[in-house]
Amino acid sequence: MNDLNLKIAIAEPSVIVRSGLAVALKRIPGIHAHTFEISSQDFLANYIKLHKPDLLIVNPLYWGSLDMGKLKDETGHLTLRCIALVNGTLDENFLKQYDEKFLLYDNIDQLRLKLNKVFESETITPDEETDSLSVREREILTCVVKGQTNKEIAQSLFLSTHTVITHRRNIARKLGIHSTAGLTIYAIVNKLIELDDIKKDL
Amino acid sequence: MFSNHKFNERSRMGEIIHEDTSLLLTISRFGISLGFGDKTVQEACDANEIHCKTFLAVVNFIAEGNVMVQETYEHISIESVINYLKNAHHYFLSYKLPSIREKLIEAVESSGQSGPYKVVFMKFFDEYFQEVRKHMDYEDKTVFPYVMRLLSGKPDKKYRIAYFEEHHSDVDSKLSELKSIIVRYYPSKGQNYKMNDVLFDLYACEKDLALHNMIEDFFFVPVVEAIEEKSKKA
Repeated sequence: MNDLNLKIAIAEPSVIVRSGLAVALKRIPGIHAHTFEISSQDFLANYIKLHKPDLLIVNPLYWGSLDMGKLKDETGHLTLRCIALVNGTLDENFLKQYDEKFLLYDNIDQLRLKLNKVFESETITPDEETDSLSVREREILTCVVKGQTNKEIAQSLFLSTHTVITHRRNIARKLGIHSTAGLTIYAIVNKLIELDDIKKDL
Repeated sequence: MFSNHKFNERSRMGEIIHEDTSLLLTISRFGISLGFGDKTVQEACDANEIHCKTFLAVVNFIAEGNVMVQETYEHISIESVINYLKNAHHYFLSYKLPSIREKLIEAVESSGQSGPYKVVFMKFFDEYFQEVRKHMDYEDKTVFPYVMRLLSGKPDKKYRIAYFEEHHSDVDSKLSELKSIIVRYYPSKGQNYKMNDVLFDLYACEKDLALHNMIEDFFFVPVVEAIEEKSKKA
């Protein structure tokens, strides 16, 4: 199973809570957290706009009432997920605009479950995920490495271009390789092609 | 003077390296050579004519680990920062990446797998190298001169540092791909000291590049933005 790679902004005034959460996030199995600590409101919008984090964890009380919808609109980052970092009692209505909430006494496992719930669509359950390529995917990989375009591959294998693109995306995900040069190494090492087949592209 | 950062002018140079070995690269990129004995930061900077506050700001940025987005950029010499970044570019392009390339060739050859393997690994690496070169050349030839003109009071009408920031891509992800190809798919038998060595280098270089990008995004860019603001008002 592929780990979840997350760019996370933590906006919270207390350095102990903020840095403590950053450390806790790094301990969660199955998640690679890259954390950025933000202590001033001016920088929050600017940071989100430029660096498009996957997730914002924010103390909902710190900056008065932060309007998440407005923040997403203004920064042009509509897919930003938001988790409220709650360290007291809070009216549930106040938390409606958040995808989830972290409580001060949540343990690592609770943080993990909540994060997986928020990013459910991006996590692939182990049973449907396999590293090995299907016969079709191997065929397509070979064509890609030989330098054929999506259109050419589609024509030679009697598929639609759209199907070829989907296969390519699955190949990249399964192997963790995104560049053609990287796929070439994979194909040579696994003897899917001979060097002579691709000589003209080298 | 009270400082709420990890290191200050009175810290010993030795202490800094002891804390985090990656700071060794930072120190040499600022132009301080080894053999600084018991010198404090202030003494070492003075001896090498280095802007001490800028040096400390970069060192603390790295030593304190978690990136903190904040707004205290006074007392920073942007010329020193540019000089530091340029030295880092030189290190990657003229020393580190070529050295990894050499080691990679040697490792592939020594595993008895020369021929096709060598060709495809080199193709991947050289494509990557070109990408990094293009990325860093753009900074050296476009971004830094822009900032220098801005400092001399002749700002460009069109260019803004925000443009650079929006198009600034990371150069470390493809290195991470090479690493994962070797770890997951490299067919090897027995001992692989040389390939392991390459992997260690790749891990270190990837980390170093990511940190370098981070300094550009969260340290260099905000300082330039502050200078742009000031020049607009003037």
